[in-house]
Amino acid sequence: MQAQKLLTRNPRAELYYDLVELLTGVTLVGFLWTHMIFVATILLGKQTFNTLSQFLDDYYLSYVGIPFIILVFVTHILAAGRRLPTRYQEQKIIWRHARMLKGTDTWIWVFQVITGAAIFALGSIHMWMVITGWPIRAMTSADRMHSFWWFYLVLLLLGEYHAGFGIYRQFVKWGWFPRKPLGYVTKMITAVILALGLAALWVMYELGGAV
Amino acid sequence: MSTKQRKFSIFRYNPNTPEKKPFMQDYVIEEVPGMTIFTALNKIREDLDPSLMFDFVCRAAICGSCAMIINGRPRLACKTLTGDLKGTITLMPLPVFKLIGDLSVDTGTWFRQLQLRTEAWIHTDKKFDPDAVEERMDNRVALEIYEAERCIECGCCIAGCVTANIREDFLGAAGINRVARFMVDPRDERTPQQYFDVIGSDEGAFGCMALMACDDNCPMQLPLQSQLAFVRRKMLAFGLLGK
Repeated sequence: MQAQKLLTRNPRAELYYDLVELLTGVTLVGFLWTHMIFVATILLGKQTFNTLSQFLDDYYLSYVGIPFIILVFVTHILAAGRRLPTRYQEQKIIWRHARMLKGTDTWIWVFQVITGAAIFALGSIHMWMVITGWPIRAMTSADRMHSFWWFYLVLLLLGEYHAGFGIYRQFVKWGWFPRKPLGYVTKMITAVILALGLAALWVMYELGGAV
Repeated sequence: MSTKQRKFSIFRYNPNTPEKKPFMQDYVIEEVPGMTIFTALNKIREDLDPSLMFDFVCRAAICGSCAMIINGRPRLACKTLTGDLKGTITLMPLPVFKLIGDLSVDTGTWFRQLQLRTEAWIHTDKKFDPDAVEERMDNRVALEIYEAERCIECGCCIAGCVTANIREDFLGAAGINRVARFMVDPRDERTPQQYFDVIGSDEGAFGCMALMACDDNCPMQLPLQSQLAFVRRKMLAFGLLGK
């Protein structure tokens, strides 16, 4: 073994990396689903939405939660992103391979990489907009979504895709459940969350733009 | 009996004549009932083109030599019926392995280094006594070992794997399955740490991204998803708890 590799060797490094990818991923999926349910409280009325937002503020849950999620978000990008091939030839191999194999899970992964990169960009913009427009209130959110509904629609679809298949893949990897029923369950949950998100987006769009 | 003409589009390349770029060559032959890709290839070589290179030995899905990419998927030529495929049949050599020429690849060298890297032999301090009665083994354990041993080393799982296609040092499902076989074997006295050193890295268990092309394309229908997950969980326990 070469000296530089001998001196820096940590046999558990890749195990930790893999665990960090798993834990941050699961945390983000949990967060996203909770987040969408919270947003969907707008379906019960402005008052409910504001009460929940106020509650999260009063108990400092937002002030702890948001920085924590940003940290997890960045860590997840680093942990999962380590797998991404960046060389031209590797990229060519992957696209050629996916087209040739026509394997569903292989294509899902290709799109997961793409959605991941897109969420990195769009999610950051979203967080910036929310934080600079603090606090979260029904009318300010509604105005934002009225003006940028297309942005939120894209982010919602990307996020749910990435989260749904991400959690599916982790379960497949660790083998806690068989693949087929697992795929079915994650798709069902994703469909429900997506429906809630779309409904909330529609209500917000209708509510906003009054001024 | 009706006869049907079948068109084959076959990858051609000879590393000895690198000035001639890889290309696809078409052949048309008569399809007979029960024809496999293997019999079709022999017919093409006999009747149309003696220069066509491809591998086979047993023609009964035991030796694993005739694996190739058939209409985009890794399959055994001897186990794939032309009648089950629609339209032109496209044949490509397996990726990852060294290309010998046309459809022929060298899986042997690759699997040899797999055996060495995974140390695919029983590690024991016990002295072998040829006169002693063989030790008994629990039937359930024997079956578990046998299940993993059904691997014929055809290379379909490696060829289908995205990670193996871009990372030359990745052991793939065949390698991880091989280690799983020794982990359940009570005769192997390796410590958790020894196993971890062999496969607890991105070249082994943690390199898998769970795209499951191995599981989808194994001609022997080995339970590769559960084997990969079994080793991954073991590596987690070995790495964190040391047991």
